[in-house]
Amino acid sequence: MSNHDEPDLKPTPGARATNLLKREDVKRTMVFGLIWTAIFVVLGLYAYPKWMPTIMSTDMKAMERIMIAFTVISAPIAGLVLGIATQAITNRHKGDTPPPDGPAVRTNGPVVIIWSVVSGIFCLVAVVWGIAELNTMANAATADAKESIHVEVTGSQWVWSFKYVDQGVESDKLILPIDRPVEFEVTSVDVNHSFWPVQLGVKVDANRLQTTVVHTVPNKLGAIDIKCAELCGLYHAYMETSGEVMTEENFNNWITANGGHKA
Amino acid sequence: MTTLHSTSTSSRPIPNPAKSLITKLNMGTGTVVGVIFALATYYALKPIPDDPGFYNQQNKALLASMFAWSIGFLIGIGAFIGPFRWLIGKDLTAEEQLYLAGDGQGIKRYFKYCTDHKVVGIQYLVGVMAMLGVGGTMAMMIRTSLAVPGGHFIGATIYNSLVGLHGITMIVAMIIVATGPFGNYIMPIMIGARDMAFPRLNALSWWVLFTAIPVLCSAWFLGGIPTGWTAYAPLSIQAGPGMNAFLATIIIFAVSTAVAGMNITATVVAMRAKGMKWNRVPIFVIGATMSVALAIPAFPTFMLAMVQTATDRVFNTGFYDANVGGSGWLYAHLFWIMGHPEVYVILLPGIAILMEITPVFVRKPLFSFNAAVLGFAGIAGLSVLVWAHHMYISGWTPTLNGPFMVTTEMISVPTGLIFLVLLGTVWRGKPWMKLPMLGMFAVIWNFLIGGITGIYLSDVPADNYLHGSMYVTAHFHYTLMGAALTGAVAGLAYWFPKMTGRMLNERAGYISFWFTQVGFQILFLGMFIAGAEGQPRRVVSFAAMYKYQNMISTFGAYLVGIGFIVLLWAVVHSWRRGVIAPKNPWGAKTLEWTVPYPVPLENFDELPVITTDPYGYGKGN
Repeated sequence: MSNHDEPDLKPTPGARATNLLKREDVKRTMVFGLIWTAIFVVLGLYAYPKWMPTIMSTDMKAMERIMIAFTVISAPIAGLVLGIATQAITNRHKGDTPPPDGPAVRTNGPVVIIWSVVSGIFCLVAVVWGIAELNTMANAATADAKESIHVEVTGSQWVWSFKYVDQGVESDKLILPIDRPVEFEVTSVDVNHSFWPVQLGVKVDANRLQTTVVHTVPNKLGAIDIKCAELCGLYHAYMETSGEVMTEENFNNWITANGGHKA
Repeated sequence: MTTLHSTSTSSRPIPNPAKSLITKLNMGTGTVVGVIFALATYYALKPIPDDPGFYNQQNKALLASMFAWSIGFLIGIGAFIGPFRWLIGKDLTAEEQLYLAGDGQGIKRYFKYCTDHKVVGIQYLVGVMAMLGVGGTMAMMIRTSLAVPGGHFIGATIYNSLVGLHGITMIVAMIIVATGPFGNYIMPIMIGARDMAFPRLNALSWWVLFTAIPVLCSAWFLGGIPTGWTAYAPLSIQAGPGMNAFLATIIIFAVSTAVAGMNITATVVAMRAKGMKWNRVPIFVIGATMSVALAIPAFPTFMLAMVQTATDRVFNTGFYDANVGGSGWLYAHLFWIMGHPEVYVILLPGIAILMEITPVFVRKPLFSFNAAVLGFAGIAGLSVLVWAHHMYISGWTPTLNGPFMVTTEMISVPTGLIFLVLLGTVWRGKPWMKLPMLGMFAVIWNFLIGGITGIYLSDVPADNYLHGSMYVTAHFHYTLMGAALTGAVAGLAYWFPKMTGRMLNERAGYISFWFTQVGFQILFLGMFIAGAEGQPRRVVSFAAMYKYQNMISTFGAYLVGIGFIVLLWAVVHSWRRGVIAPKNPWGAKTLEWTVPYPVPLENFDELPVITTDPYGYGKGN
């Protein structure tokens, strides 16, 4: 340990920084901090993508991007916080008598300012990112409005039903063509439900006597799980159905087979 | 009143005791009058079966008898004797007031309308522990049911009721977990006051809350509540008679918190010792006061939301019925205008306790008192502007998404200050790893996870996916349980010697700590994964793909359960025959450690004069 408690004669900022880095507790904090940062980076880059279901739409992709990016961005902060905490634990005092007095530091102006500014910047990054994604979503919905296929989704205790307005088909399965924008017009006949096609990464409440709209573009073939994400009474847990994203051709065949017509 | 010295623990005679009504009233008389009121009301309004208006009549009769119970109990326990005697011009005499303060009545005073803040504090402590016990047992039943897919253990009706009752029981318990016991017992001593500003209101706040407990329990016998604690309309309008118990509980509870909030705020503003300027007030007092001050505007909207649900159910007023111009969104807004400040009402005292503890156990001053105050104020101020982030996916106009996302994410800045204060205080210190300090480190981790996951959820595109999933459940348990409850338990370990005169059993405390904290991580790790994978919350049954995650969660839950049983044992055992505590076992500098145990009726022989803040630890101080 150096004699860091005794102030040097007007040290330059550079010299102060060097002295700080020489301190044993600072070194340990940095090592612990780096380890924790690495753990959070790994969590963001590997764990989240592994946990997410199959990504089958642009919205789901945006969602995954946010989870990964925010975890990685917050990793250094988590690293710093946990680094300091871990360092303190390794420096702990045992026994039944209080520990020796620590330095009587009541505050440190630059540290408070830097901490606030840095957390402000991180907050700003999150805000700007979120607003940008919101704009992307809104623009996509407007741009796609004309070519969208319209699906009327109705929730009732405790089933989902789907009506393909332009095609004149009703179904209890959600069948969608790939790469074609879809607009869900969601409503309920009784209590609030929440329409959640899991792999499409969107969700909207189904309210009685109201139509709520959500838009997405399925971009991968495969099965979809449709769930209810708002407690809606006794059999809420069982208010599930399945669906599929298929090729345009298969979709048209399905429409025809169910008595509909090509829109 | 300053003449009442240490002799005040002795019994004093009441003039003409045979005639004095106040000597005869207690919980028993309260219960009797309350039950009579309730039964009389119920039979007066008795619903007629087969009547087309049966649904409304039944709701009316049940709600009215629940309120009648509450009012009857309060009359029966003598809550209104003071105002009544004032009204008829025969104010209570000094002796009678002393009797109301429980002077010399031993254990009996805990069952009476007692105005002593220390008695109220213990009443809150025991009440909170009971509520946490009931809520925790429900959590164990929920997790047991979720251990395997299929939901065959208890079935959907009971499961849904458990989810709602667990939620509301824990929310109520957590709102009072710190400000109830410590805010009442410790805080007046901490600021050098002889009692609260309004001792009778203090007793009223506890006993009003107490009357809500049987009401909430009655939900169980009235068919349960199917709505979760959020009680969204129209589901809450459709729900059976158990819903009335939920509504009545919240309306009664809102009265209690309003009374307690005003009282605590007034006490801190007006009753501080001479020389205790705002920058010399202990940080726990600041945090607790901001918490209750935040509750004062928040809870009336909660009450209003429930009153409107009740009138919809009783009189078909249709506030939330889209058929007649109402809207379920109105309910959602009212509910969350309370609901989001409420989580900070819960969190702030827990964090403030840790800030109070940390300087004592590292022997350093609190790092940047001003940043701590600013952090609390920033959180409290922003928290009233974020409510609608619970409604991103309600289908509202997308214009609203941006502003609420911005306010929500801005909360990370004052939250950062909270971390800075805690970490700055331990920095360069040697933390003394007693139980309260362990809690501090656990909260750093839990609150960090809760905070970071909160940032994902505040982001609209991420919330589009995560909303209503198990991920959200895990997130808010990290903040409310991982941070606020752990903070409150740390506070219990810290102030236990002052409140009971005995040390909390250390070994049992450590065992409990490790079981609860390790179990907690396992429990909610499983839930985070299941949620990210797409398991909705509040489901009695789930797909086989979530099998292992839920099994892990349930295992973790049992560890937490064991931990809390050990803690309960430690509290009960130590309270009865723990090691006698010295006056100031931790060497702390706040005022509560200057008074002996048992704390005299009016706390101080001579009121202290404050010349410095209580954080003068460390070399050169």
